[in-house]
Amino acid sequence: MAVGLLKKVGSDKILTEPLKHPDFFHLSELFSLKDLFDARVHLGHKIGCRHRLMEQYLFGCRLEQDILDLDQTMEHLQQALNFTAHVAYRRGIILFVSRNRQFTHLIESMARDCGEYAHCRYWQGGLLTNANVQYGKGVRLPDLIVFLSTLNNVFQQHVAVRDAAKMNIPTVGIVDSNCNPSLLTYPVPGNDDSGPAVELYCKLFRMTINRAKDKRRQMEILYGLKSQND
Amino acid sequence: MAALCKAVCVAKRGAKLARISCRSLLAFGKLYSTGDTSEFPGNKEDTPTAEKKLSGFAAAFELHSGLQQKHDIAAGTVGKSPGSNEHSFATLLKQSPLVQMGTSKDKVAVGKIFHIVNNDLYVDFGGKFHCVCKRPAVDGEKYQRGSRVRLRLVDLELTSRFLGAKTDTTLLEADAVLLGLLETKPK
Repeated sequence: MAVGLLKKVGSDKILTEPLKHPDFFHLSELFSLKDLFDARVHLGHKIGCRHRLMEQYLFGCRLEQDILDLDQTMEHLQQALNFTAHVAYRRGIILFVSRNRQFTHLIESMARDCGEYAHCRYWQGGLLTNANVQYGKGVRLPDLIVFLSTLNNVFQQHVAVRDAAKMNIPTVGIVDSNCNPSLLTYPVPGNDDSGPAVELYCKLFRMTINRAKDKRRQMEILYGLKSQND
Repeated sequence: MAALCKAVCVAKRGAKLARISCRSLLAFGKLYSTGDTSEFPGNKEDTPTAEKKLSGFAAAFELHSGLQQKHDIAAGTVGKSPGSNEHSFATLLKQSPLVQMGTSKDKVAVGKIFHIVNNDLYVDFGGKFHCVCKRPAVDGEKYQRGSRVRLRLVDLELTSRFLGAKTDTTLLEADAVLLGLLETKPK
């Protein structure tokens, strides 16, 4: 019984310790403003495609092309990656969603590499909202959904954004200048159409999740040993 | 001639004022250092003012070079290593090729082919979107994945507002004319 009590104290420490630091996983060293700039993250669509709610994230408009403010993007990306890391640390299920056919393979292989899930194909209507009927009772839904592009192939908002909000699932999403950021928990203003940009996001998410999982293993060993020794 | 005399008179008056202020400073035993006056104590000679108190162009040059140094240090462009990443986003944007280029119409750019579908070449030239060009008849086999080509840009993003639509419809492509392979200089 004493061992059980010690184990419980240890597990509490594992869960509460990361919450005491603003950047427990040191994610700010993973990317810099220059990296984002070189990956063309600041390039937006033409002025005619602009979504009204994205105006707050724009630096300006140059020769009819919107430019996103990378200073704001840095802050939002830091918060989004930090949240993703905490979810992965606590053994949450992360689902990557994107309907951009150019990067389907890249996103699916990235999800496989970090041990998480991806859904870059046609989204059936009741996937989240009707999961108990479609997949059987007691299905575990994702704890976080990451959108590498929030639009579907007809330039409308992806159904999963609304459905995740309905099911109380937090969302992280890369929003371009033609997207609606309002329903996302952690919107990240950035380019979702260029190859280098999406490759950068994939690399960052993969490194974040791997780092968080490694940290969890370390903490378990550390606090597991401590509670045994005490 | 008259202007020169006036300038000389002003200079002489300036020298007298300088000596008077210097003496008064010494008399009071305090020194209010206001730039040049700190050099004055102990010097009561009738020196030309051009050496002690700069005037005219020289004063303006001193002032502006000092301000420029302060600005450079504040902006972080001076005194840092050349390979550092300390530039602000605004500076990076201003110095980027996209902004320096201006309008994209009729500008020549170098692109790289990253995908080929039969006779369509998908070329990435560094903009937000890639462009799709038809394989030319001349030297067709030389255009493979990874080849560098010259393009004449027309538009960075093909968009248009159709009747009854709220936003523009975008093709998610740029428009460019293929000029040919990038010719490397013979060594």
